[in-house]
Amino acid sequence: MIDNEKYVSGWSAWINAPIPDTPLQARIQLLWESLRRFAANGSALFGLAILCILISMATFAPLIVPHDIFDQDLAKQLQAPSSNNLFGTDELGRDIFSRMIFGSRITLYIIALTAIIVGPVGLLVGTVAGYFGGWVDAVLMRIVDIFLAFPSLILALAFVAALGPGIDNAIIAISLASWPPIARLARAETLTIRQSDYINAIRLIGADPLRIILRHVMPMCLPSVVVRLTLNMAAIVLTAAGLGFLGLGAQPPSPEWGSMLASGRQFILTSWWIAAAPGVAILLTSLSFNLLGDGLRDMLDPKHG
Amino acid sequence: MKKILTLMSVIGAVSSFAGLSVSASAATPADTLVMAWNIDSITTFDPAQVNEVVTNEILLNLCDTLVDYDPEDESKIIPRFAESWDVSDDRRTLTFHLRKGAKFPSGNPVTAEDAAWSLQRIVKLKLANALSLSEFGFVPETIDQTIKATDENTLVLKLDKPYPSTLILQAIGAYRTSGVLDRKTVLENEVAGDMGNKYLTTHTECVGPYRLARWNAGEAVLLEANQNYWGSAPKLKRVLIRHVAETGTQRLLVAQGDVDVARDLTPQDMADLEKSGKVELSIVPTPQMLYWNINNRDAPLSNDKVRLAFRYLVDYDGLAKTVMHLIGSPRASLVQLGAVGALDLKEGQPFKLDLDKAKALLAEAGYENGFSTTLAIGSHPYSAAIAQSLQQNASKVGISIKIESMANAQLFSRVRSREYETVLQPWLANVPDAYGMVSRFIVNPDNRSEAKLGNLPSWRSSYYSPEMNKRAEDALFEPDDQKRIEMYHSIQRDQLQNGPHAFLFQLNAVSGLNAVLKNWTQNGLRAYYDKASK
Amino acid sequence: MTTRRSPRTANSRYRRYLRRALTTALSIALTLLGLAALTFLIGRLLPLDPVVAILGDGASEEAYQAMFEKLGLDQPLYIQFFRYLRDLANLDLGNSLTTGRPVLEEIARVFPATIELATVAIVFGAGLGTPLGVVSAMYRNSIVDNVVRVTSLLGYSAPHFWLGLMGLSIFYAMLNWVDGPGRIDVTYEFLLPENGTGFLLIDTALAGDWAAFGNVVSHIFLPAVILGFGAMAYISRMTRSFMIEQLSQEYITTARAKGLSRVRTVWFHAFRNVGVQVVTVIALSYAFLLEGAVLTETVFAWPCFGRFLTNSLLAGDMSSVVGCTLIVGIIFISLNLICDLLYLVLDPRTR
Repeated sequence: MIDNEKYVSGWSAWINAPIPDTPLQARIQLLWESLRRFAANGSALFGLAILCILISMATFAPLIVPHDIFDQDLAKQLQAPSSNNLFGTDELGRDIFSRMIFGSRITLYIIALTAIIVGPVGLLVGTVAGYFGGWVDAVLMRIVDIFLAFPSLILALAFVAALGPGIDNAIIAISLASWPPIARLARAETLTIRQSDYINAIRLIGADPLRIILRHVMPMCLPSVVVRLTLNMAAIVLTAAGLGFLGLGAQPPSPEWGSMLASGRQFILTSWWIAAAPGVAILLTSLSFNLLGDGLRDMLDPKHG
Repeated sequence: MKKILTLMSVIGAVSSFAGLSVSASAATPADTLVMAWNIDSITTFDPAQVNEVVTNEILLNLCDTLVDYDPEDESKIIPRFAESWDVSDDRRTLTFHLRKGAKFPSGNPVTAEDAAWSLQRIVKLKLANALSLSEFGFVPETIDQTIKATDENTLVLKLDKPYPSTLILQAIGAYRTSGVLDRKTVLENEVAGDMGNKYLTTHTECVGPYRLARWNAGEAVLLEANQNYWGSAPKLKRVLIRHVAETGTQRLLVAQGDVDVARDLTPQDMADLEKSGKVELSIVPTPQMLYWNINNRDAPLSNDKVRLAFRYLVDYDGLAKTVMHLIGSPRASLVQLGAVGALDLKEGQPFKLDLDKAKALLAEAGYENGFSTTLAIGSHPYSAAIAQSLQQNASKVGISIKIESMANAQLFSRVRSREYETVLQPWLANVPDAYGMVSRFIVNPDNRSEAKLGNLPSWRSSYYSPEMNKRAEDALFEPDDQKRIEMYHSIQRDQLQNGPHAFLFQLNAVSGLNAVLKNWTQNGLRAYYDKASK
Repeated sequence: MTTRRSPRTANSRYRRYLRRALTTALSIALTLLGLAALTFLIGRLLPLDPVVAILGDGASEEAYQAMFEKLGLDQPLYIQFFRYLRDLANLDLGNSLTTGRPVLEEIARVFPATIELATVAIVFGAGLGTPLGVVSAMYRNSIVDNVVRVTSLLGYSAPHFWLGLMGLSIFYAMLNWVDGPGRIDVTYEFLLPENGTGFLLIDTALAGDWAAFGNVVSHIFLPAVILGFGAMAYISRMTRSFMIEQLSQEYITTARAKGLSRVRTVWFHAFRNVGVQVVTVIALSYAFLLEGAVLTETVFAWPCFGRFLTNSLLAGDMSSVVGCTLIVGIIFISLNLICDLLYLVLDPRTR
């Protein structure tokens, strides 16, 4: 028995109405349900919180850093964390805390740009391949396989070596190595829904393939792609750090976390704080994306969550 | 619940297994010298081609050169495979009397024919070390006459000009190129007329205390004592050089006793190890110079004053106390301390960080608004720190430097083809004589790009000064030793002001020695494996 | 009246399978060809000079030219590629530019170490990861679930070399629980048979030298755990995801309603249904481990495939890089093929 007295007025009534009046209201109700599910997931919230901290750090960086990030003072090198230098100083006497904060900008830049490149490209290739099948599928999947079979680090290294070191080239290199799994995932999803009734119905109506893919197939793949992408972000952070570690990412004196880790490498046993700060930062960022991705998956696809 | 308990027990079992692990005592065998070193740079063991620090030392321990430097005093030459030698009065003929009755590892007897052939092939193969002979007039066309075995045990070198005989003894006699190879065995393994170049990549066939038993690239090098060596047998019959790329790992290994010697340690590691008392440090200056390689071809770097300004951007003191502490000492003169004709410590390093002076010089040169340039660095641990320090100081006078870090192989390619602006790299001088650096960095016979002298640092940096060429030549042939030294001094003084590069540091060889090792003998030029014992 | 399959239907099914096999074979060949082409192209376009890699920095111009021609680098690109393919057809991967030894030989030298490390790591990772994933799914969103997920993610997200050095300094230098870098102590190294399998665990076991065996185990423990940790995180999370999907299905409720115990339901029904997917995930993780965890290998001075490949690339030794890439490519393609086949067989929707 539906208890209509509880839902009397205002927002609460609208959002909890058992029978929505418009499609829009239905959609918003679904979204609200998903968000509530998400909010119930403690670890996902934790991940989101860290991410928010990261983003605000990056945004307000110039306002919060206590020291200039390029200011070297050899006399003050390798000092342990103190009240003046929260995370200590590095081998050139620069404040690690300030460099960390600015480094978050670079990390977010890499993540955002990579996601913008990898998402659409992978989605497009995967859905087209899955929908059309036949030789289109064969050719596209061969290309995907070739990139997938190529060791990702070598691919990234090779491209950076060919294009020259630097952050933008590193992003291109990482994107090239990261898009195949998305394409494969999109294709797998497309394959399972392409025979379903409603797709057949739309085809019968006479919609052209591109429209079908864009308006119907892609949205269905979107949840798992978004989830996969978020989880990939974690790996991308590590790959970017790895490239920076090998000296092929952002060039010195840029405070990229990976290269900070690299320069801190020789001091791990003596001045542990130099590698600890960027290491923990990378860890937390990667972790937060992982948790967020898990939460998103739980939220968007109740079957999995 | 049951699942969790099973899980916990699994984890427990795994961790307790770790504690129970049969851990052998962390010690090295009593008859083996175990060294941790980054040996990625080894590419060959052919004396005609070996051109880098690590292989150089290993090769010198494998192949007896004709003469050697005294381990205690680098300025003295002592006999090694040659028992004695004579110099003709006109200084143009050098006769070596080789030891009699020596045998190669294969069992073949050693003759002067082998010695002559070993030197001849270096010139004929035209690889990296050909220059060390061709610069003294040994060319492929006449080499068979100019380097000859006149009998079983006599080797005669005919020079084209009256070079100082000490220099020849250092540059050829004590150099890795004079290792006597087993001609018969090498030619048996020759491939398509390469005089054994391919075979000698992974083998050694020469007379010496050790021979190369195994080289696993990126993994280890194993040396074993030769049975029929003419000299005194090494105390440790095996030498295992383990490739360890991480300096932190090397430090842990030597402190634990899993290796006897660690060859790459950072200043911080060294300070800690010394404090712990478990490991002793051996620090010796080497003839390796770290320099800021500036390409003199294009403006603004072609301007003398600009390059002089660069020398005032280097924080010698600051870097020496921190980044280069214990691993190098400041030196602005191109000739390394300890070489014949080198400026002394004070005169050889008159610069210090002076931004005002640098600014003034730039203004004089017409660049008061600064300019931008690039600095390419390789993978040495100190490169990034020094480069950033230079970048920082440069930015304060208006010069914006973009740092490009790349793999060493890529760096070499670019420098070789003159496609760079500035580079930070080291150079190992081949002799403890001012001639070594002067002949490479100052003397440039032909600066045209067609000449393609990619193996000559002076050509690579487009430095061409006919006046300097003449002064270097005069200094080379000056018979009076005192005057010769004076001439080199004056060349260096001028170079400090107008030279092509900014020399930064003279590097030290640092070894961490575990207490179990005794008699570790190492001078600036190499370590003597056969003298170590436990 | 018995129905009999007409010969035509039987034949056409065989023909269908044959055609599918042929197309698969063709696509594999094409992928390999594409891989070879891509690698070749990258090799030729990289600004790393192979001649300098062989001859070293100080070679004269004459020697440089001679080697340049010897390597065939003066020929147009398509002729070089053709020669390269011809060599491949003869299973000749060429010689390493740095050591001059055949690339195949060099790879054969480093691969056993890689396989050994990857295998021990995956045993650890899958052995712990799979049950943890199942447990996580069973107690979804509880404390157990969150603890498991966050802990395994920690190992997955931490920079490996940092873990490695920390692990070494704590467990090796300070506590002496495990042995240090390298595969085996020097003392035992010389006692190893010359032509062993290259798998030290097997070699020492076969020789009956249990002290050496224990030594190898204590050397491999730390790097395998660190690598396995990452694999464990991935495997446990994927297993959890698969299991959650299964456990939400109706047949599970039916089984429980019928009175089956929880353990039986989970392990004998749900888990068996995801078995294939879990195996695929484990296989994929194994392939990643084989490809090499460069940084861990560097810290532990493990002479492994990943380091060999990276160092070859950084040294400009393109022959080795190309050879290694092809081998990795073959491994991945084989694995993908198996995955595809398994899905084809088991999930009718994808036919």
